[in-house]
Parts: sequence; structure tokens; C-alpha cells
Amino acid sequence: MALLQISEPGQTTAPHQRNYAAGIDLGTTNSLVAIKRSGQVETLPDEHGNHLLPSVVHYAEEDILVGHTAHELQAADPLNTLSSVKRIMGRGIEDLSSLGNALPFDFKASADSHVPRIKTRQKHVSAIEVSAEILKTLAHRAEQTLGDELSGVVITVPAYFDDAQRQATRDAARLAGLNVYRLLNEPTAAAVAYGLDQNSDGVIAIYDLGGGTFDISILRLNKGVFEVLATGGNSSLGGDDMDHAIGEWIMQQAGLGDIDSILLRQILIASRKAKEELTHDSQAHIEIDHEQLKVSLILERATFDELIADLVKKTLMSCRRVLRDAKLDKKDITNVVMVGGSTRVPLVIEKVGEFFGCKPLTDLDPDRVVAIGAALQADVLAGNKPEQDMLLLDVLPLSLCIETMGGLSEKIIARNTPIPVARAQEFTTFKDGQTAMAIHVVQGERELVSDCRSLAHFELRGIPPMTAGAARIKVTYQVDADGLMSVTAEEESSGVKADITIKPSYGLTDNEIETMLRDSMSHAKEDIDARMLAEQKVEAKRVIEAVDSALSQDGHDLLNEDEYAQIVSARNQLEEMIEKSTTEELKKAIKDLENSSEEYVARRMNESVQKVLSGKNIDQVDV
Amino acid sequence: MQVDLQQNYFELFGLPVDFQIDEDLMHDNHQKLQSAFHPDRFVNGTDQEKRLAVQKAAWINEAYEILKDPVKRARYMLEVGGLHLNDDHETTGDTAFLMEQIELREEMDQCRSCSDPMRCCDHITNKLDQRSKEYSADFEAFYQQGYMEDARQVSKKMQFVQRILEQIDEYQLELEDDIN
Repeated sequence: MALLQISEPGQTTAPHQRNYAAGIDLGTTNSLVAIKRSGQVETLPDEHGNHLLPSVVHYAEEDILVGHTAHELQAADPLNTLSSVKRIMGRGIEDLSSLGNALPFDFKASADSHVPRIKTRQKHVSAIEVSAEILKTLAHRAEQTLGDELSGVVITVPAYFDDAQRQATRDAARLAGLNVYRLLNEPTAAAVAYGLDQNSDGVIAIYDLGGGTFDISILRLNKGVFEVLATGGNSSLGGDDMDHAIGEWIMQQAGLGDIDSILLRQILIASRKAKEELTHDSQAHIEIDHEQLKVSLILERATFDELIADLVKKTLMSCRRVLRDAKLDKKDITNVVMVGGSTRVPLVIEKVGEFFGCKPLTDLDPDRVVAIGAALQADVLAGNKPEQDMLLLDVLPLSLCIETMGGLSEKIIARNTPIPVARAQEFTTFKDGQTAMAIHVVQGERELVSDCRSLAHFELRGIPPMTAGAARIKVTYQVDADGLMSVTAEEESSGVKADITIKPSYGLTDNEIETMLRDSMSHAKEDIDARMLAEQKVEAKRVIEAVDSALSQDGHDLLNEDEYAQIVSARNQLEEMIEKSTTEELKKAIKDLENSSEEYVARRMNESVQKVLSGKNIDQVDV
Repeated sequence: MQVDLQQNYFELFGLPVDFQIDEDLMHDNHQKLQSAFHPDRFVNGTDQEKRLAVQKAAWINEAYEILKDPVKRARYMLEVGGLHLNDDHETTGDTAFLMEQIELREEMDQCRSCSDPMRCCDHITNKLDQRSKEYSADFEAFYQQGYMEDARQVSKKMQFVQRILEQIDEYQLELEDDIN
């Protein structure tokens, strides 16, 4: 592999090896896995032929059940049967009250972080662990079908997910032992599924109303490039809310006040059934037989439409805002794609069609379209499709801000900025000899920090002591292609890199993840240390190969003799260590080699940028 | 990461340093550059490659953001032309311009109490769009003739106009949300 792997778009450096990749739609209500085989993309069924895996996990006395079997136990044992946990991914214990009685679980704040735990008979679990169980089940399904291990997966998330929610999803994948190629936004995945089928260039809107989230995205399609122009929505609005609206109506009709979680669960199950009936019938029968409540009701479509009118209106308000952000008019939209099970609701289709003035596309199964798009992207990323030049360019869904004096937020990176993105900001010290400072990063559009989502507190240490105002601390905020943020800081006059301690506001700490990993590993009788060492060895070999290949191409052109010798020495050092070092030692040796070749890599990148546009074929530049 | 400082954003995108920009070419070249450097092209690469790809792609996007936006583009051109800009401490000394600004803001405030705020907003927007065009033409002319200080003054006005337009936009959105 070249140190700077610049190849014709989509071309892989190891074309002979088939990499198996899967796309996973980790949904609020249902989850799916899809793979691409012999040119065909398909969602995979379980042994009973069900493609949808209910996103429900049941904690039994000893076992953990996932999917349909868990779903069946929901009414009987609601407290040990966890569903819709996607709604609490990346959320703090204080956010849960805003979800109302949507989730009838027994929550408990955890000791060492703000991640809420749900009490089950086995243990206290976080939404991340519950999601990991769902991911494991789906990955297993794919591996069974393929008869081989997955080299990587693409997992979809709502475009509107903030950093904490994305990080939580990544952590879940890590716990499930999956290599994540990319977190892909659900609407983008849907566009991929439609775009490739219909091969249509233009500007499209993706209206995605799922169980618990609503996304609206505007994309420009151009020769295989999917460029997200703007995205918006509401991360706690979805089909579940329709169920609740019906549930409240039932309680109102029955004259009920406070009820226990078992009855609530039954009412919600009946509500969902009624909602589904109303997608094709003009009325639904609701029967509940419970000791506190025996009712038989008829819900008319018109009544249902009234119950959800506000919800639908809220989604259209988001549509209008996102069009503004994209600086486009309704008439610029060539197609509207409907995604998510809740877009089956007739009122939704009708109102969306009215708003955009065109008939929404519903050709692909709204439940499967996201997983299909994810599988297509996973296949491209795995390097299985050399001729494919598909590229997905996403944006930051919510502005990234820092807290300033008086609890106000100051925008660092505005929403809908294309990612990856990096912005630097300069600070100075206000006291003589000050060696530390704190930065609070939040995400959102509101002026007050308390109205935004707190992401993390960064503490910078090791600033060289100087007189007040003399230090120039450059803090760089970077968001990667997954929409995940990182922060680096450097004192510019001395070049000293500040140490940064991150306290994620709603994420798991590294220690917690480590503990969870160890727990799950010992369960599987695998040795985590051995696995980590093996991973480092692979990485070391990869780095050496990359360096060798680069040096043989242009090492002598871009480096003077000293520089060249320095890289070679670090490379040899690393090679010697591979078979006789610990994980930490290897990590350090890799880092050393990377540090000594940093400047070289940068020069190679700059060389190739020049050539990308100069009309030369890229593979003439670098093989 | 080391960025090739010799190269400005226009050069990066294969465009001449000019206020009038070939937008199609800009979009095309943005896609070409991202096709080569986006982190998705490096998912099977080493950690270092991944890290650098993120930085490179971020740099390309930064350039794209600046070239796309006429006001940012104008300000950037001044920097390329050798001016040091300090957004916090710049004001315009053009009294006529300031008077017009105050009037426009007053007009906007009156919008909130008038009978047809939407039409009122449209009216101001049209006026501002017209101004925008004039200032852009002025900027271009000054810049081409090398009157950098004059160009800077105009760019400042462009910034003012853009800010008011954004405020009107926000207000109109509020109005629409209320109606619906």
C-alpha cells in the first residue's frame, strides 16, 4: 500500500482480495442488514424469512434475546425488554424527562459518567450495550450468509444526530467487535439506493420519518457524486409519537389517568396496530383486555389525521428551513424520496406531496431502502468495485460552538458546512504563568449554551508559563467524515502541544468502554490483549509497506539524504520490533515512524493535489 | 499538517484570482479534489493516511466554502492581494452608507408591525439585492485596477448587506412558521 494511497477514485490497492462488507440500518423500531453479492444488493432474512429485526433486546435470567423473540416478551415483561433505545443514544439522564413516558424503563444514573443505565434483572445496561447486541445479531446474520467474516460495515444514523449520538453509535459497534468503515447518514443512504437505480442527476429531497427521528436532506446528484447541500430535522420526532397520540386518545376515551408501565405498553402496542391498519383502511378497531382497562374502540382515519396533524406540520416546517439553508426554492427539487416506515401514513404522503408540489417517490420499500444504500456504500469502501466512482459528501448537521462569557454560545463551525472540516481559533492566557485552560464545546443553533447540546469539556494543560496575554494558543476543532469532532491545541510561539483531557458530556469514558469490552471478551473466552497486539502488528506491517512503496517511488525526489536516512532508520527500528514487542512498544514505534515521515507525507499530498486538476491521469502520479 | 502555502484557494481549485467565478468549474473541481482525497478513499489505509486525508479534505472544503460565498471570496481576495484584515476592528467611514443602513434597519423593524410583513420583507430584500450587485461590480473594478483600500471598503459594505439579508431571512422563516 502506498504511503499516500492516491488512486483512481474507487480503485483499491489490493484488488485481488474480496472484502466482505455489510450495510446496517440501526433503527429505532427495526433494524436490518444488507449485503452486495454477485452484483445484487439484498437485505438478509433470519431463518424464518423475516428481514426486519425488531430493535428489541430482552434480558432473561441468563440469556440475552434479540429481535422477534424479545419483542414477543415485551408486553409480559416490559422492564426487562428494552426497545427504542436509539432515542436515548448519546443522551443524558436529564434528557430522559423530555421524552416523557415514551420509554417505560427503570433508569439509573451511572457512577462514573452521564450515560444513563437501564435496570434489568441481569445488570444495569446502557443504550450503547443494547445497540451492540442488535449489531452483533445482524453482523452474525451477514457472516452466516456469506460464510466469511465481515471486513467492515457501514452503519446508518439519522443525519440530524449530534456528535454524542454518533459517538455512541460508534461505541456500540466497537463493543460488537465491528470495524466501522463509515457512519452514513440515513437520507444519504436512501439517495444512494435510489440514485444508482434510476441514474438521475438533479436536486432531490429525502424525507425520512422513522420510528423516533425525522430527517430532511437536500442533495445534489452529479455523475455518481452525492453532495448533501443541507440537512435538518428533529431527532426526537417520529412514528412513536403517532402511537403516543393514539395512546393518549385511547386513555382520554377511557377516562384513564395514571397507569402502570405494563398497561401503557399494551395501549401503545394497540395504538401502533391501529396506526398500521389506518395506512390502508379508513378505520381501525382497537381492543384492549386488561384488568384495569377493557375497551373496544373505533378510530376513524379522519380522527387519526387530526391527532397527528401537528406532528406532520412540524416536519414541513423543517422542510422549509432546510430549503432556505440550501438556498433553494421548492421548484428546484426534481424528486422527493420517502424513507422510513412512518412515510406509509397516508396523511404524510399527501402533505409532503402538497408541500413540494410533486408526487413523492415510494418505489423502494421505505423500510429497506436505507440498508440497501448502506450496503452499496460499504461495498465501494471495501474496495470491491474499482470502476465505481461513487462519492458521498456530507455536511455538519448542527453548528459547533464553544461557551463564552455569560453562558453564551459562539459559533465555530456553522451547520451545513461540508465535512470533513477544520477550524482554528486563537486564545491567550489572562493571568501570568497560566498553564491550563478549559473549553466547553456544545452543538446547536441557540444563543444560550444551556439551550444547546453539551458535547464535551476540554481541559488544556502544559501551556508554557508566560506573562498574561503573551501565549498564543491555537485550538483546532476538526470534524471527520463521520461527523465526529476532535480537538487539538498548540501554543504557537513555543510550538508546545497542549495535553487535552476530554470529558464527554454524554458519552462513555474510554475506561468504561474498555471495561465493557473486557467483560464481553472474557465471556467469549477471547484474550483482548492478544487481539490488540495482533492488531498493532498488522498496523505496523501496513505502515512499513506503505513507507517502502512511497520511498521507492519518490523518496529521493522529495527528501534530502538526511531526511531519507531518518525515515529509513525509524522504519527499520519498527520492523525489528514487530515480533518481540508489547502492544504499547509497537504503538510507540509506529508513532515514531509516522512522526518522522509526517513532513514527507505532506509533501507527497501537496504534489498530488497539483496534479489532480492539471489533467494528468491520477495513476500516472502515483500507483 | 503542512499545507502548501504557495498555493492559494483559487489555484487549488484551478481558477484565476477573479471575483467572477466559473461556478460549474468550481463545483466540478471540488468533486475532483474530494474524489482523490476524501477519507472514504483511505478506509483501508494506515491510521496516518486516514488522519492526513481528513486534514486534506477539510482544507479543500475550507477553500470551497470561501470561494462559494461572494463576501468571503472578496475578503479572501484582499488577503491574497496582501492586505491584513481584522474583522473586529474594521468600520466604514462612508456616512451615506451608514445612513442607508440605519434606514434599512428601521424599515425592517417597522415590518414587524405592518399589515403585510411578507411583502414588506420582499421589498427590502429587492433593494438589498440591487445594492449587492452594485457593490460586487464596484469591488471587481477596484480590485482589478489595484485600488485595494477602496476594494476593502466595498467588501465591508458587502458584508453589512449580507448580514441584513440573513436577518430578514430568519425573520421571514419565523413568519412562515407562524402562518403554518
